[in-house]
Amino acid sequence: MIDLRAAGPMEQFEILPIIALHFGPYDISLTNSALWMLLGTGAIILFFLAATRKTNLIPDRLQSMAEVLYEFIFDLVRDIIGPEGRKFFPYVFTLFMWILVANFFGLLPTIPGAPHALHTFTTTSHLAVTFALAMATILIVVIYGFAKNGLGFFKLFVPSGVPLWLLPLIAVIEFVSFLSRPISLSVRLFANMFAGHIILKLFAGFIISLIGAGGAFTILGILPFLGTVAVTLLEFLVAGLQAYVFAILTCIYLSDAAHAGDH
Amino acid sequence: MSKSSGKENPSSLDDFSERLEKMRPTADESPHQKGAKPSGAAWGRAMRASTDLLAGLIVGVGLGIGLDRWLDTTPWFLLAGIAVGFGAGLRNVYRALGEDHKPDGSDN
Repeated sequence: MIDLRAAGPMEQFEILPIIALHFGPYDISLTNSALWMLLGTGAIILFFLAATRKTNLIPDRLQSMAEVLYEFIFDLVRDIIGPEGRKFFPYVFTLFMWILVANFFGLLPTIPGAPHALHTFTTTSHLAVTFALAMATILIVVIYGFAKNGLGFFKLFVPSGVPLWLLPLIAVIEFVSFLSRPISLSVRLFANMFAGHIILKLFAGFIISLIGAGGAFTILGILPFLGTVAVTLLEFLVAGLQAYVFAILTCIYLSDAAHAGDH
Repeated sequence: MSKSSGKENPSSLDDFSERLEKMRPTADESPHQKGAKPSGAAWGRAMRASTDLLAGLIVGVGLGIGLDRWLDTTPWFLLAGIAVGFGAGLRNVYRALGEDHKPDGSDN
């Protein structure tokens, strides 16, 4: 019998050390979060190594998958940023693949009976992780924006065609709007993964409660079971969609940085 | 990608690439073909609007509270921060919805 005590909806987000490591005053233990990041990164590397091992003009199945992913993001970057978006393609593609795989790996079933630290873990359900990704994007936007446009980057906060008396207010609003970007970017990904996984575990918990209640309630257990199946399907959609949205917004923000001095 | 054409015996690679070129939109056309967006994009847009509004408010309130603490002016910067943050949130949403009608995304 599998231990059901670990079935509470919040246990899945606990960070547990697997290998304790300390560097001076810092705790740099290998945690379950870090383990699943490594697994995801490793899976991406293996996938692309396998897909590009022998490339043919007429691609095999693996190679087509890699090519579809590549072209999907390449078109996205080119359409949104324009020709100079090419240099951002490696970053956007890495970001997209990493988030996509992290989201999907979080939906893998846990091996029954595995110790708590080895349960399936969704790295993107932690704000610290998504905020770090969002800050990486915003830092690139700021650094590239100033490098390319110089002080013209500040034109981002001064939209054209605004009457002069309204300009201070608009500039403040635009500035706050710019500061809200990393928050919007990270909260969206985090909240979607976090909420989805809680709903999933709650529905699944209802099944066990109803079966435990016995009698006619056992039959009713089919309802949360169907709910769990439906939410799982929805979560697969959300996992893909959120990676896509993160990639699109990264492109839009980079495009702002690239074209800030144009108008 | 059409599966039926793959079944025919390809006479030559030149012929194949010719057929491929015909089916593929040229580089100048494709940015304007916005009708061919993935269907999930609409939902992504809706989620984007909601968090964008919230994020503006969070930053506005955060800046307001921070400035109040620093300058000891409670609650005036918080009140101004709520207003500006809400404005910024609306600006985010306005921009997010406007981007669909500007395929190049170069202007706001």
